Parts: sequence; structure tokens; C-alpha cells
Amino acid sequence: MLVMGIESSAHTFGVGIVEEGRILSNVKDMYQIKDKGMIPNKVSLHHLKCADKVIKEALEAAGIRPDQLDGIGYTMGPGLGPCLQVGMLSAKAMAHALGIKIAPVNHAVGHVEIARAYAGLDDPLVLYVSGGNSQILKISQDKFRHYAVLGETFDMGIGNMLDTFAREIKLLPAWGSSVEKAAAGGRYIELPYTVKGMDFSFSGLLTRLIELSGREKREDLCYSLQETAFSMLCEATERALLLTRSHELCVCGGVAQNTRLRSMLAHVAAEHGTRFGFGPNEFNADNGGMIAFVAEKILKAGKSVGLNDCVVKQRYRIDEAEVF
Amino acid sequence: MDYGAILGKGAEADIYSFTAFGTEMVVKVRNPKAYRIAQIDNSIRRARTKKEARIMAHAAGIGVRVPRVFALGTFSIYMEMVKGKNANLLEEKELASRRVLGSAGEMLGMMHSSGIVHGDITPANIMVSGNGIYIIDFGLAEMSRSVEDMGVDLLLMERSVSKNGFGLFLEGYKGSNASSGNVLKRLEEIKRRGRYQNRSLD
Ligand SMILES: Nc1ncnc2c1ncn2[C@@H]1O[C@H](COP(=O)(O)OP(=O)(O)O)[C@@H](O)[C@H]1O
Ligand SMILES: [Mg+2]
Repeated sequence: MLVMGIESSAHTFGVGIVEEGRILSNVKDMYQIKDKGMIPNKVSLHHLKCADKVIKEALEAAGIRPDQLDGIGYTMGPGLGPCLQVGMLSAKAMAHALGIKIAPVNHAVGHVEIARAYAGLDDPLVLYVSGGNSQILKISQDKFRHYAVLGETFDMGIGNMLDTFAREIKLLPAWGSSVEKAAAGGRYIELPYTVKGMDFSFSGLLTRLIELSGREKREDLCYSLQETAFSMLCEATERALLLTRSHELCVCGGVAQNTRLRSMLAHVAAEHGTRFGFGPNEFNADNGGMIAFVAEKILKAGKSVGLNDCVVKQRYRIDEAEVF
Repeated sequence: MDYGAILGKGAEADIYSFTAFGTEMVVKVRNPKAYRIAQIDNSIRRARTKKEARIMAHAAGIGVRVPRVFALGTFSIYMEMVKGKNANLLEEKELASRRVLGSAGEMLGMMHSSGIVHGDITPANIMVSGNGIYIIDFGLAEMSRSVEDMGVDLLLMERSVSKNGFGLFLEGYKGSNASSGNVLKRLEEIKRRGRYQNRSLD
């Protein structure tokens, strides 16, 4: 099968093409964040403007013609309504023009499944760390096959926490990675540490960091922020590892690009003889390839939706999505 | 320090077994975690060890079945050995026939009624022995009357067992906690809340 996937849930408009589980191309255009976060309507306008170009580039990079496509996937959610709409619209237009099937995809499932495939893991415990989300996941067969949430943040996702703080201390984008760079050479300052079983909370940590931001050195704050927040994630993950007795651990999502977090998780895994892996950064950042990858599986399972039944769902939880 | 045979490994601690004066005991040692820096690691291990021993004594005092604590070190707790298995190693059928989840629910109800929140109540921290169950692992416990904290306890349990299993757990819980209605209401609220949100505008 030859399937295209379109991702548009946040600042990235991405298009990927997959053939039998192999990514042929993965092209993206990112809305350039100024300093105010992102305004959904501006971002969706950006997506609308670049959609045609990115789709064309993805086809060219894959070396295929549109009429060779067997199906198309789009991110149904979670994400920003106006942005999701653009991806859905593009998918519908293509499906209409080419007479091919449509598969709606859960964004988080995309990150998890592609990372799992690249890491060569079968049934791992997953730490999914992105902007709005931070969750510990494991496949469950309860009722239907899906990723069950074992633990998650009580308030904000770790990515948003890092970004908010980065903006507060006037670091330039890309926020998450700029905190990592600024942490070099820092010293430890005690910060609030909140883990409840397999859940955790970042808001107290962020509030304290902002309080301290005028008084303490930037590198000390960034260093302590990373050490504290990542230790929390590792602790909750280790607990889930013990509970589920998983032999595999996978990290994915935007913050999975952080090398300090990866090395800490590698320690956790090694301690329990657990295999540990992650996917290439290009798939930890938002991308269309992962959407194509999951869409192909959905279509192969014989599931698709009609042109008139396509929807977007801003709060589409990962545990509501069937996984094939 | 060499504690002898390793009996179990939890997420936070290693458990070693030994015999003293003819009594089989275990020592729960919070060994350093290689993933986190020493400053964070030491303060967490020290604080949790102290709190765990204190709250275990408290729980025992109100009739919750916990291993008896014999001695306390900086990072270690010496306690009675429970002869049995962790509940997460048992099949659903066996859990049901031995009334494991029902009595665990009953014990959590007693704890909540007396202002103890467990903080990590999952089948991994319930031990099933020949003469009934034991609640272990009070490292994340708190003395707290907060309905929110109690709701989180229930949430943790709900996510770690089957639907049916949680039903059994709740039967026990309601029987021993007169204010269980409030906690259950809060549980539903927590589940509906922003934490189940997804991507935000930033
Ligand atoms: N008193 C005890 N008797 C026998 N086994 C125990 C006892 N306490 C703990 N264990 C075993 O050791 C494991 C880890 O102990 P636990 O207190 O849960 O530590 P952690 O905080 O690391 O999860 C338990 O799951 C159990 O199998
Ligand atoms: Mg335990």
C-alpha cells in the first residue's frame, strides 16, 4: 500500500508518505513562533498557505505521482481546532480528487507507533512527552486494542512547562532545546518535586522557577529544572515498569529529543534489564510520516471513513483510539 | 553494606531477607538511583524512608495489616517478612477467590477514615499471604485529610486493575469509609478535569 499522511495539529504542517511500513518521504513546514506562543488562527492560515507546496514536495521526495496513492490519513486530534481543520480539509480534497480512502489518526498514537517501530520494540511501556502531554502508556486489550494511560501529568505537559519557562527567561526558540543548552555548567538549586504514584505535576515547579528567575543564575535554574522534572518522569516510569513488568521501554514525543532525559531513562531501564529505545528526532518532532505510518495500518485493517464522516476532535485522548 | 539475599526489587528500594533471633525479617533499602543527581537522590531517599516508617506505625495502630517495623536506619527499614506474593503476580481469578481486592479496599477505607493517604496503592503494593493480605510500601504516603489526595489514591487503583476488580475494591472501600461518597465524587471530577486535556495553545 502507498499512503500519505497529513499532520497539522499544532505549529507544524507535515506530509509523509509510507509504503508497507517504510517511510518514503517526510516533509514539513513550521510556523515560526515569535515570542507570544501561537495564535491558532494565524497558524492555521500558515498551514493553509503552505499545504499545496508541502504535499507536492512530499510526493516529489518520494518519487511518486498522486494517482499512485491508495489512501490518505490526517490527524484527527488532539490539537488546535483551526489547525486540525486544515489537515482534514487537505486530506478530504485529495481523497475526493483521487477517489482514495481516508483514515483519521490520533496524533499521540502516531508518535508512539513510529518510535516503537524504529526502536524495534514489540510491546513497550511508553513515556510520551510532548508539549501538552506527558503520559505513561501501555497497550491494553481491554474491550479493544488501545494505549491505556497508566500515569500522566496532573496539570501541564512537560514541553509546555519548559517552553513557558524559556520564554519567561527570554531564551530564544526552539524553547525545549534552548533550556537543555542553557543548563550546561549549572549548579543544583532545590525545587518542588511532585510525584504521586505514576502521576506527576509540574505547575508548582514552574511557579517556583518563575519566582526565582530574577534572583538565581540562568544556568542554575535550567539545570535544576531539567534534573528535577526529568527525575520525576523517571521515578513514575520506573514505578510503571515494575507494575507492568515490561521488558521494553520507549520514549517519544518532542521532549524525547532531550539527551539528558534519554540518558536518565537508559539508567532506569538498565537497572531492570529492560530494553530501551527511541525513534529518530525527525519523528519525535511533529511530522506527517507518523500519520501516514498509522493510517496505512488502519486502512490495512479495513477501516476508513467516508468523505462526509471526517471530523476533528481537539481533545482526542489516546486511550479512545483503536490501535492496529 | 552487604545485607544478604535479595528478596525483591521495587521501583524505589531493594528488599533483602535475613534471620535474626530466629525471626525471618526483611530490610527495605533505598539504594542510590543512578539516574538522578546525588542532591535530589539523597534528600528523596532520606525523607521517604523516615516518613514510610512513621506512617506504617500509624497505619498499624488503626488496624491496617502492615508488616511490623523493627528498626529504622537513614535509608533502610527493618521489618517483619510477609510470606506471600504480590497481588500483581496473581491471576484475576485467584485475586477474586481470595477476596484480595475487597480487603485491600477495606483497608484503604480505614486509612482514609483516619487521615492516611497511601500515595501508591496498586496491586504491586498489596501482598497476599496465607493468612490474609498486607498493605506495603508507604514511601509516598501522607498524613492527609484532603479529599483530592484520597481521590487520587482511588484513581491509581482504578487504572491498575480491571473494571471488575475495581468494583470489588470499591465494595470493600465503601464498607469502611463513611465518607466514601465524597471521595468517589471527587474521583469522577479528577477524571473529567484538565489533566485529561491535551494539547494547549502554546
Ligand atoms: N515485609 C515484606 N515481606 C516480604 N516481601 C516484601 C516486604 N516488603 C516488600 N517486599 C517485597 O519487595 C518488593 C518491593 O517493596 P516495596 O516496599 O514495594 O518497595 P518499592 O517502594 O521499591 O516499591 C515488594 O513488591 C515485595 O515483593
Ligand atoms: Mg512497591
